[in-house]
Amino acid sequence: MTTQPAGFKSWLFTTDHKKIGVMYLVTSLVFFVVGLLLATIMRVEQLDMTKTVVIGANLYNTAFTIHGAAMVLFWMIPVLLGFFANYMIPLMIGAHDVAFPRLNALSYWLYVGAGLIAVMGLVLPGRLDIGWTGYPPYSITGPANIAFYAFAVHLLGASSISAAVNFITTIITLRAPGMTWGRLNLTVWGLFGAFIIQLVGVPVLAAAVTLLLFDKYLGTSFYNGFKGGSPILYEHLFWFYGHPAVYVVALPVFGIVSDIISTFSRKRVYGYTSMVIAIMMITLVGFETWVHHMYVAGTLNWTRVLFMWGTIAIGVPTGIKTFNWLATLHKGSIELNTPMLHALGFISLFTIGGVTGIANGLLGFDIQVHDTHWVVAHFHYVLAISMSMLCLGGVYYWFPKFTGKMYNEKLGKTAFWITLVGAMIAFLPQFYLGYNGIPRRYWKLPVEFAPAMKIAAIFSFITIAGFLMTLYNLVHSAIKGEKAPANPWNSLSLEWQIPSPPPFYNFEKIPTITDGPYEYGKPANTNVSVKRTPSLQGK
Amino acid sequence: MLKQVVRLLMAALYVSIPYAATAAERVVDPVASWNKHFKTWAVVSIVVYLVVTIPLIYFVFKYKRKRKDENGAYIVGNTAIEILWTVVPMIIIIMLGAQSWAVFNDLRDVPKDHIEVKAVGFMYGFEMYSPEGIKTINELRVPVGNVKVNLTSKDVIHDFALPAFRTREDMVPGENTYLWFAAKEPGEYPVYCAEYCGAGHSQMLAKVIVMKQDDYDAWVKKQKGDSEMASLTPETKGKDLVERLGCLGCHSITGETKAGPALNGIIGKSEELEDGTKVAIDEAFVKEKIADPKAKPIKGFGHMMPPNMLAKEEYEAIAAYLKTTK
Repeated sequence: MTTQPAGFKSWLFTTDHKKIGVMYLVTSLVFFVVGLLLATIMRVEQLDMTKTVVIGANLYNTAFTIHGAAMVLFWMIPVLLGFFANYMIPLMIGAHDVAFPRLNALSYWLYVGAGLIAVMGLVLPGRLDIGWTGYPPYSITGPANIAFYAFAVHLLGASSISAAVNFITTIITLRAPGMTWGRLNLTVWGLFGAFIIQLVGVPVLAAAVTLLLFDKYLGTSFYNGFKGGSPILYEHLFWFYGHPAVYVVALPVFGIVSDIISTFSRKRVYGYTSMVIAIMMITLVGFETWVHHMYVAGTLNWTRVLFMWGTIAIGVPTGIKTFNWLATLHKGSIELNTPMLHALGFISLFTIGGVTGIANGLLGFDIQVHDTHWVVAHFHYVLAISMSMLCLGGVYYWFPKFTGKMYNEKLGKTAFWITLVGAMIAFLPQFYLGYNGIPRRYWKLPVEFAPAMKIAAIFSFITIAGFLMTLYNLVHSAIKGEKAPANPWNSLSLEWQIPSPPPFYNFEKIPTITDGPYEYGKPANTNVSVKRTPSLQGK
Repeated sequence: MLKQVVRLLMAALYVSIPYAATAAERVVDPVASWNKHFKTWAVVSIVVYLVVTIPLIYFVFKYKRKRKDENGAYIVGNTAIEILWTVVPMIIIIMLGAQSWAVFNDLRDVPKDHIEVKAVGFMYGFEMYSPEGIKTINELRVPVGNVKVNLTSKDVIHDFALPAFRTREDMVPGENTYLWFAAKEPGEYPVYCAEYCGAGHSQMLAKVIVMKQDDYDAWVKKQKGDSEMASLTPETKGKDLVERLGCLGCHSITGETKAGPALNGIIGKSEELEDGTKVAIDEAFVKEKIADPKAKPIKGFGHMMPPNMLAKEEYEAIAAYLKTTK
């Protein structure tokens, strides 16, 4: 077996999927912290609705712009499609590495470049105050230097597209002998769906911001309503990717939840086939939803009705997944440790976000709450907090695998409960504001809503404190944690059958797979799976 | 061709839905139908939430791991149950969707007996035009009855959000959009800009003032004659203008710096321009500045203020008023 190279250069020039994965994780966590800090500043600013507390309107607008971009584009998508995909897919399908290792390294460094440009957009003159959506004409006529925005999207887009090509190829071609489509981990299925969306959607977003760039600096008028263009065109192009981007985050998250629940219930994932069908349905129908971001944008009435059906139809596969998770718990053997708590906490938060999301999808309902705090509350439950929480849960779950150390269970649980209590309440007041039609992205709200926002602020501080405790736990344990066994959870999934941390080429010999990853307690099982041969087992 | 196909598909969908009857009915009051829709949704959502969380918590306690090497039961799935929890949510969603469609039709189909007014968004305020052609800033006066508001914008995308009537629509530069509401009770109803439009977004507020028909007629008569305005002192008239023109969206009169400099006591102050020259602010400078704000921009603020075309007396009235502020 080849020995693992070490030292600084081995990271800088690596094409090893595991090292690239870890670099993705570290970089995205930095952006997560940036996002949390900006959230804290905005919440502090809204403690008093009558005067400036820490930042004025202009800086507030920059804060929510970078908060959104950092959280969605630089934390959630990279941690899932960068870290989890990189680290887990080759291990789960039984491969030595991804299909195109050098392209993989390029994807990472493009992402770093995009991140640096985004940070420049925060600190250099011409600060981005256009929202992460960057709607024209404001983005064109306003003070923001949208070259930062367009080039960050371009670099990130190049990174996403090459990653998508890479991983779709990897999943299709590099599965070990016997690793049929029906034996893939649901995490791999979720990532597969997410990469398909990236491949189809990202080019459209890149086109949208390119036209934005032309309009601003070359004097074209694609988005100028007074010269024959239309600002609504941008909204269509943006949300064609912008909404499915939510499923790019959600699908891998769904997969990870399934893996965690199966492992800690020691039970086969209930309805595996319907889980896969649900993932693929969401991938497909996800492209028939985007106009719900434009229910009041001046789009034609019939297009709104058409896209309402697409949007609320997503509720069906999502419901299937939720019920299958519950059925997996049923008659399981449940161990409530930190990753499992995160998965269950995810379900409870995600359901709040889900039902309020149906409200947003319902055309008649949405018109009252469109672009209000209702929407802010909804996507923080459905996407932001619940899925960030689950990403951290996934990091906990595979922490022994990729670091070779154990995390601190007690601190992990404490941090989880603090986060959950904060998160449960933090955004409820904003549903009340939204019900009253109070718009979002307001620096100062009408004073009668100040008390509600104070409650929201206090509980969001609690949530943030919980997240920071989790981060401390991860960093501290990575340095000083106890040595972890190869398979602390006694999981049957392939990635746990090799030592922790995995050797340089993952598998000395490509294994032959004889059974699925979730076959706990399979009766009369005479198949001797390679995954269960003692030579590959940890202690 | 494509449009026809889509229409045909829509029609097919329309008749195949059990709630199509509801969608076809015309409820005259969108507020009432929205409220009903909200209640239906709320009941469904609470039930769904309980259906998910109660078993979740119950299973966690009931099936807690007892022995270290214990496995869960080996269950692959159950097609009948899986079909059940696909079909039931589907039915619920189709019913909610049909109800929502009906609410949407209420919100978008303007009744025949309505008056038409116009609202134009700008950074940062709303110009309103009554059917008689009276222009007001940041307040729309209408008589009791159905009102259709035609919307557009001068600069960037804004939104005319009217929560009291459960409706809103974007104001798109270069395009025309609309909304309507049934003004039943006289009173004041807040209007918000709900599409992010820059530094003054959160101060882009207005109101709809619903009046009894007699009061409205009297107001129109007064505006047409403009008799009362003449008798006012310039200072009062100036104050009225500053409030009506939407200046306070960006400029405070309390000393606080918003998107633009504070206006109180500004006459007599000395400010630095963007090119570095210092100017003493006097009445002439203020008048010039209101008419053409971009000519001499003050350092530290953007170039967002739109130019104004006011009568000579109006400029003087504003200057006179600003002199009285401290």
